[in-house]
Amino acid sequence: MKNRTKLIRAVPALLAALALLTLTACGNVGSSGGSGPSAEDGGPAITVGSKNFTEQYVLGELYAQALEARGFNVEKKLDLGSEQIADKALQNGQIDLYPEYTGTSLVDVLGYEGEYPSTPEATYQKAKELYAKREPADTMLTPAQFNNTYGVFVRKDVAEKYDLKTLADLAEVSPKLAFVIFSEFKNREDSYPNMQKNYPAFDFGDIVIVNSIGGPIYQGVLQGEGDAGVGFTTDGQLASDKLVVMEDPKNIWPFYYPAPVVRSDVLKKNPKMKGILNEVSASLNAETMRELNAQVAIEQEDPEDVAAEYLQKKGIVE
Amino acid sequence: MGAILEVLGRPDFAELLRTHVLLSAAALLIGIVIALPVALAIRNTPLGAALAVNVGNIGRAVPSLAILALCQPFLGFGFDTALVALTALAIPPILINASTGLREVSRDVIDAARGMGLSGSQILTHIQLPIAAPVIFAGIRTSAVQVVASATLATFIGGGGLGDLIVEGTQRNDTAILLAGSLSVAVLAIITEVGFGTLEWAMTPKGLKLAQKRTR
Amino acid sequence: MVDPGAFGLAFLQDLSSIEEPKLIEWDWISENFWEDIVPAIQGHIFLSLVSLAIALAISLPTGVLVSRYRKAYPPVTFVTGLLYSIPSLALFGILISIPGITIGPAPVIIALVAYSLLILIRNTVAGLDAVPAETIDAARGMGLTNRQILFKVELPLALPVIVAGIRIATVTIIGIATIGAYIAAGGLGKMIFDGINRSFPTMIITGAVLATALAIFADLSLLALERRLRPWARRRRTA
Repeated sequence: MKNRTKLIRAVPALLAALALLTLTACGNVGSSGGSGPSAEDGGPAITVGSKNFTEQYVLGELYAQALEARGFNVEKKLDLGSEQIADKALQNGQIDLYPEYTGTSLVDVLGYEGEYPSTPEATYQKAKELYAKREPADTMLTPAQFNNTYGVFVRKDVAEKYDLKTLADLAEVSPKLAFVIFSEFKNREDSYPNMQKNYPAFDFGDIVIVNSIGGPIYQGVLQGEGDAGVGFTTDGQLASDKLVVMEDPKNIWPFYYPAPVVRSDVLKKNPKMKGILNEVSASLNAETMRELNAQVAIEQEDPEDVAAEYLQKKGIVE
Repeated sequence: MGAILEVLGRPDFAELLRTHVLLSAAALLIGIVIALPVALAIRNTPLGAALAVNVGNIGRAVPSLAILALCQPFLGFGFDTALVALTALAIPPILINASTGLREVSRDVIDAARGMGLSGSQILTHIQLPIAAPVIFAGIRTSAVQVVASATLATFIGGGGLGDLIVEGTQRNDTAILLAGSLSVAVLAIITEVGFGTLEWAMTPKGLKLAQKRTR
Repeated sequence: MVDPGAFGLAFLQDLSSIEEPKLIEWDWISENFWEDIVPAIQGHIFLSLVSLAIALAISLPTGVLVSRYRKAYPPVTFVTGLLYSIPSLALFGILISIPGITIGPAPVIIALVAYSLLILIRNTVAGLDAVPAETIDAARGMGLTNRQILFKVELPLALPVIVAGIRIATVTIIGIATIGAYIAAGGLGKMIFDGINRSFPTMIITGAVLATALAIFADLSLLALERRLRPWARRRRTA
């Protein structure tokens, strides 16, 4: 009995201790692996975010590590579920920059409703212009010079069975097939609706929605959960001879060139960032990106290691 | 508010709702079909019953997401995988309650029945089951609510259901879609809870209801 | 559009790691143990403990109050019951729709606390109810004040039932905390989601198994505590 009374007396003390623990440690929970910025190090504290698919992990790590090597105190938040979430985090200061795609930002973030600009440069300029007009303003830096657009693909046996070569072919037989996609693809204007707009016959019999673009979609199609899927043209998996990518003679997608989007006030305070980030972007091309992505997605290496190795090879980091 | 209704009016909403209900109902039914016979089989063996209850209790501690996620590497994405996982989640509450309920029917009552000349199986159907019915049904109810809630997570392994809507709303930072998904799942769960609660009350034999009333 | 035939890298042809991914890559586990696995466990325990602490801080006093002023009990049960019946992902969704609540640990902790209130309050009341009236009378007869009775007599006697409630709440919290990773709250759920996103079963299995182990460990530990506090009753309760 006496022990119990002691137990009960201890409870408020325990709770107070835990409450204190909560308040002090609150910031640490949720960050995905980078160490928190510390005042003693002297470098300005920057939080780099990214969405949560392979290429984003790699780009996020590349930018974060380059900044870190040049004296910034970088915290990484590489688990933002979509451009909407990332953008929200950017605008309310939870992150300072993240890698976005010119086309994506135009269509899905900046609310642009016109015709897709006809050149990559025009796409970038339009996005940059709209970003600068926001409140708080953002700066979209110079994009890396390659297009990472959607590649709609089918399993080889499906392609052979229906003799599928182009998106138009696929559209014709789509009611008989299952399409594996990620959540936003279903209703975003530049995604499935875009396919339907340009090839009205698209009406897949079944749509399987998986958690993320990339791995799960390839897995789903290869294992037979679906017959067709959508990936990125920089995905290593699309090189496989087990998959056939559908041709798109109409060029229905906007241009998706990757570029870091930084909040303008942060950039103003740290002008050095511009040069560092641009150096990383300039070093990338489609081949390199594909290889980096493949190392993560197919060989299951850690994005952090893959990025570190690349930056060293390119001389951006010692 | 109007925006939420708009989302509910979308053609794919009906499909998502249908998948969600189908997944839940199927998992619950299969769970009952597995758990009840097991509980019946072990009702007279104290060891078996203890085992069932222990397994059941451990089963209840397993996080729903963990089971769903664990099935994915082995069974792939899709409805079927989600069904297997949800069935596994449905079994423990039914197993625990059915097993305990059947065993806790008072010895006196069973002895009296045996004295009246009833056979083992007659005791089961006329005495044990009716008396244990409310407890068994409470287990089914707990299981049903848990399955409906966990079916929301099926979205993470491509199983479809209303979880898809919640994920879509979160991804697209669209409050209307998010709330449409969240609220419809919440309403579905509450309907399940209330519905099964009513059924449970209906299942309680009149005598027990009166007895319960007296002890209140 | 990029011509996929231009992909020259030969090693990309081999997709066997995606078609038949190896289920557990022990190298990955040993390599990343301190870097990824331990922080995930820490984050998860942290989320769970904080939520439990806050839930207890709310439910214990509420339970005591409600056991005294019974009129308040039905509405309290109704509200907490309503909260409990909202599936976790849905509640997260509702919470992050509220302006001012961003994704991260905060909405998850709020939700976890909300889920535990019903069982904790209910068990506090039930535990206090079970204290025999005669015992309280005797204590009063011995001159103890109401406050002393509460802390020295009622609560100690109610402890087994309260701990039973804590046990259920803890297991629930640990389980639902896994889902919190979806809205960036960290923890073992993050390993599960990352594993799914990267088609990397090792991470999925590690995260799921550890989360399960944590929940079962908490369940059995608290069960042992409950049993020690309740030497007079060995019967198992129904679900």
